[in-house]
Amino acid sequence: MSYAHPEFLVDTEWVANHLKDASVRIIESDEDPLLYAIGHIEGAVQVDWFTTLQHPLRRDFLTKEQFEEVASKLGITNDTTVVFYGDKSNWFAAYALWLFQYYGHNNVKIMNGGRIKWEQEKRPLVKDVPSYAATSYKAKEANQSIRAFRNDVFKQLEEKKPLVDVRSPKEYSGELTHMPNYPQEGATRAGHIPTAVSIPWAQAVNEADATFKTPEELRALYEGKNIKADKEIIAYCRIGERSSLTWFVLKYLLGYKNVKNYDGSWTEWGNLVDAPIEK
Amino acid sequence: MPLPAKLQEIVDDIASMSREEKLETLIAYAESLPNLPERLKEERSKMESVPECMTPVFIIAEKDEKGGIIFHLDIPPQSPTVRGLASILLNGLNGLSLEEIISVPADFYHPMNLQEAVSQQRINGFIGVLAHMKQAAVKAAS
Repeated sequence: MSYAHPEFLVDTEWVANHLKDASVRIIESDEDPLLYAIGHIEGAVQVDWFTTLQHPLRRDFLTKEQFEEVASKLGITNDTTVVFYGDKSNWFAAYALWLFQYYGHNNVKIMNGGRIKWEQEKRPLVKDVPSYAATSYKAKEANQSIRAFRNDVFKQLEEKKPLVDVRSPKEYSGELTHMPNYPQEGATRAGHIPTAVSIPWAQAVNEADATFKTPEELRALYEGKNIKADKEIIAYCRIGERSSLTWFVLKYLLGYKNVKNYDGSWTEWGNLVDAPIEK
Repeated sequence: MPLPAKLQEIVDDIASMSREEKLETLIAYAESLPNLPERLKEERSKMESVPECMTPVFIIAEKDEKGGIIFHLDIPPQSPTVRGLASILLNGLNGLSLEEIISVPADFYHPMNLQEAVSQQRINGFIGVLAHMKQAAVKAAS
């Protein structure tokens, strides 16, 4: 058994062999944005979920026009093969890939294992920031079929369709880890969306080298919790970054047709007035 | 109560910087954070951990011969932002008395305008590190 869409994954060796390939743009997207400055893959550019990909004012992603501007500045054309990698088992790499798909860039890949595997293999990192000739990138209309908003989640609940909570077990159970008198992660209520099953994102990757688990292991993991290919599925976490990794696994590694990422996630649901919560 | 002089100096310095300079300064702070001394490596289980950070952060404090509090931090190199922020605190607070450390308000960082360089979650983690450094200092002083 192989992954459903293996073309969405490349290994470190593939990337090492395509550093000078003009049809390929390598993008680093990290949880810790300073990592890029400390050292990155030669020729790679950086996007940061917070300063590059978020709308500067509203809680949302860039608009289509803003996305076009970012992609153009990175020297990406509509035909460029865009390869994402990052720290923390590629959380934020998957997040950036999801946003590129949202605006219709389908020629995207993840470097399996991300920074962790690249560093383990002692492959070189450089500090030189490359610059590429600007392009005039044309984005497509936002692809709403991969993004869930809160109303989609309410509908999902009504129709008794599956939700996957990919946060850690303690976040799911609603056990708070904060101390009094200073802010924690932005949700006033703890717990999970009723009926959501808990499948922490990290179970989809190998701890040793941050690569994805085998197709057999992944299938057993999700089908074991009744998250099956024929269902419409919504995944969420705290801000939508870890769940975009789960979205990638379900959609491209297992080939599920209908999977959405709820990027509002717990920081929205846990603050919504009148929204049902389970603990 | 005014901020401790060294911390105030760092705050003023960073407050005057552009976003790019702030990022470069954070990297420099991250790189200058000393490694955990060998003799303390066995003590990690007794160290104060910071659950607010997504990164494993461990803090231990000791009293020096003059009664000042000395901190040791253990933060992985894969997390330069957290290292940089914690290193600011280390540089600003090391050697001070317990009273001086406790008196630092949780909002002291506002003038640095760090949110133009790092996300709010990081800043929450940063405040978490300060709160846990205070706790570690209380333990060391008692």
